[in-house]
Amino acid sequence: MATPQPLLSTRTTFLVCYDIANDRRLRKVFKTCRNYGNHLQYSIFECELNPREKARLETELKDLIKHDEDQVLFVSLGPSEGRGDRVIAALGLPYTHFDAPCYVV
Amino acid sequence: MTASVYRTARALYPHRPEMWEPEFLYEPLPIPDDHPELGLFSQELQSISEGLSGTSIPAALNERTGRESEAAFHPRVADEPLPARMLNEYVYCPRLFYYEHVDGVFLESADTERGSAIHKKVDKGRGDLPPPKAAQRGSKESQPAAVAAVALAPDTTPGKEPQPADIADADAAQEDMAADGSPKLETIHSRSATLGSERLGVLAKMDLIEVQMVTVAQDRSSWVPVTSFKDAQREASPSVTAPMPSPPSPPDDSPPLDTQSGTMCNLTKRTSKKSRPAADQPDLFAAAITPPPAAGTAIDAPCLPAPVAPTARLLHVELKQRVVHQVTPVDYKLGAPRRGEDGNEMWEADKMQLGLQILILRDNGYTCDEGVIYYRATKQRVPLAMTDELEGWIIGKIAEARQVAASRSIPPPLMNSPKCVRCSLAPVCLPDETRLLKRVTAPLLPDSPDRSADKRLSTMPPPRRLMAPRDDERALYLNTQGARVTLRGEVVVVKEQDSVLGEFRLKDLSHVALFGNIQITTQTVQMLCEAEIPVAYFSMGGWFYGLTRGHGLKNVYTRIEQFQSAQDPHRCLALAQRFIHGKIRNHRTQLMRNHVNLPDGVSLKMKRAAGDVLAARSLGELLGMEGAAAAMYFQNFAGMIKVGADDDELPGLEPVKKADRPDFTFDFTKRARRPPTDPVNALLSLAYSLLAKDCTLAALAVGFDPYIGFFHQPRHGRPALALDLMEEFRPLIAESAVLTALNNRMINPGHFVRAGEAVNLTVHGRKAFFQAYEQRMSSLVTHPIFDYKASYRRVLELQARMLARYLTSEIPEYVPMMTR
Repeated sequence: MATPQPLLSTRTTFLVCYDIANDRRLRKVFKTCRNYGNHLQYSIFECELNPREKARLETELKDLIKHDEDQVLFVSLGPSEGRGDRVIAALGLPYTHFDAPCYVV
Repeated sequence: MTASVYRTARALYPHRPEMWEPEFLYEPLPIPDDHPELGLFSQELQSISEGLSGTSIPAALNERTGRESEAAFHPRVADEPLPARMLNEYVYCPRLFYYEHVDGVFLESADTERGSAIHKKVDKGRGDLPPPKAAQRGSKESQPAAVAAVALAPDTTPGKEPQPADIADADAAQEDMAADGSPKLETIHSRSATLGSERLGVLAKMDLIEVQMVTVAQDRSSWVPVTSFKDAQREASPSVTAPMPSPPSPPDDSPPLDTQSGTMCNLTKRTSKKSRPAADQPDLFAAAITPPPAAGTAIDAPCLPAPVAPTARLLHVELKQRVVHQVTPVDYKLGAPRRGEDGNEMWEADKMQLGLQILILRDNGYTCDEGVIYYRATKQRVPLAMTDELEGWIIGKIAEARQVAASRSIPPPLMNSPKCVRCSLAPVCLPDETRLLKRVTAPLLPDSPDRSADKRLSTMPPPRRLMAPRDDERALYLNTQGARVTLRGEVVVVKEQDSVLGEFRLKDLSHVALFGNIQITTQTVQMLCEAEIPVAYFSMGGWFYGLTRGHGLKNVYTRIEQFQSAQDPHRCLALAQRFIHGKIRNHRTQLMRNHVNLPDGVSLKMKRAAGDVLAARSLGELLGMEGAAAAMYFQNFAGMIKVGADDDELPGLEPVKKADRPDFTFDFTKRARRPPTDPVNALLSLAYSLLAKDCTLAALAVGFDPYIGFFHQPRHGRPALALDLMEEFRPLIAESAVLTALNNRMINPGHFVRAGEAVNLTVHGRKAFFQAYEQRMSSLVTHPIFDYKASYRRVLELQARMLARYLTSEIPEYVPMMTR
């Protein structure tokens, strides 16, 4: 309440990387992350999160992991419509970034 | 309070057809005294008369029909106990309180999300609290009858073992006593207890209560006749509460002390049945019983009496008892304390909530002089001492809040307050926009609206945009015939046969639009409803059938005002004039901007038409004016299409194969629909259909009934209000999207098929057009009045909210969205 912040800013792109010691928890963490972002590589998701979604993901993961054995890293890549949009480049298999005003199937 | 008291005449008088007159048919009738089935209703009647104590039944029924809705709504809201949390909101912002408590609107933000995360642990508490020792607290004994302890009802299941922790506690208490024999203080924690106070008419769920327990020894003179040790144990605890010997009849565990006070158990959130026994365990707080040494060998007993009878002996039972000494409520707050003159201070709103908790605890018979707020951000505790002054302030605020809750009109928004910036409801409340429109009144509209508005606006601070300029979510259009939509976790999966066409996370979706024969599983629909993501259904050709959405029925008053206004011809006409005025002005702007060579006089004529519309005397006259202006617009529409048949050969364009090229051109002569007979009309029809969908969604999001309109009259299955809202946006969104799609060659002649007279888009054509339409929807536009940038979708919702403000008389005028 004390610090004024730009409210409801749009999303920020995060790389969410995890290292989970136990297979059961690993699976749960994977399933949770799948609800929040693209599975880029093993243990790495690219999630575009607004502050609310980030808070929710953090809460969910906090409840899942064992705090003295596992680790989840949040790497902020910048605003999704700015820097976070362009910083990932790939060698080998292509990396695609979805950029269209709507989803059409 | 069931709906079944709304008996229709037909149901009440099955053998008296004369009573089935239309005016009786759907009217709820008072239930007659001599009705043969009166017994069937008696329970309902009773509940009604209880609910509206004092009101006669016909009046009660009458009230509930909604005709006297003012009277019907308010007492109900006003009589409910106010949650302390809501009173916190009231001190923060009365408008927020109204939204959350009366309208039931709530939006999650990052702060509320984190707040509920830190409360998760606290809320896991069992909600039990040791009963106050009213008998020993002389001063509190005299409190009015509002004593309502949450200590749970006596446990009736015998043979329960205390929880291990409880045993340990009891043991610890025993050791304390053994060590020095004097009473010792110890603190136990009670989490998420819910208490109420009838005197104040409030309820509070308290995060944490620190209870200071003191262990006192029972008088050594208490001798209990027992037959065995088990009996002694069984009867010991009642004898703690009352000095007289306990009645031997109840064989179960002793009732805890709350029997003497009025319990408010129904207010307590019970945990599941499984965990109840533990919560109910009276030994936890009531008394710690020291089992006496074996009967004959007690050393510390002053005098061991000889057995009186072989079957019944007197046994000295030494009792230790833990009683509540003092309680301190602790409330968890996510933020940081206020930096005051001398150290950390509490925020006003927090003071309100915590002060209330203290008062409620006092009313329940506890000794409580102080509360604490734990500010999570700085990990600091800030204490609050209860004073008479504070109590007076709190009671005053409760009365104010009650008055606001009972009032029909929402309190005005805060003035340029920094509180709004972090408020999760800012996009609903729109504080600055509402204030602005309140002052910039009627003269904004006629004649040269822009100039007069500009003058007024220059004297006011520009409204802050308190929401994101654009949604994070996107629409999902499903157009592949035969596709199946399923759910996996929180991801919507679209499949065709066995191949996955796409996966979309729920958090990325604003709504789902299904075109034609798409199957969607019930699980998906349920999840979409829960996530408040509407599903709209269209025919393959784009006919808007309807939509499915979650409950989200909020803003009841908005609906009531909408229905009342829709019945008032003057209001309908005034609103319809505004809609059409906006539409014609936007048509004119569109022509002036995009027409290659606008004929002389058209612009002036359109301007005049827009002015004339405001003077229309009836809806019929207005309809005529609208038709004439629209005809003029569509006569000149072709001039805005800058693509000819031969343009396909331009370099950089994908060459269209000769064989595939149909004989379509984008010549436009006049608007034709049902069916559209040329490609441009087909695109326009689809665009209007999509816009109708988005207007319906906007109307629903605000709390309107989209089927009751002001200009468009209600007709079966037609979202009339959405069509009203849509008028001013037709040129801005739909026609503009069509023109962009054509002029930028996103759509080419290969995207159409002819079926008889009708021209339709192919699947690929539709897909391309969805993109063009959504691109327009999410493009940013500077709002002409609020002067900030927002996407068209946002502006659409803004307009719907402003319409609601106008209907509830919060702003004096509905100002249509008109681009400069």
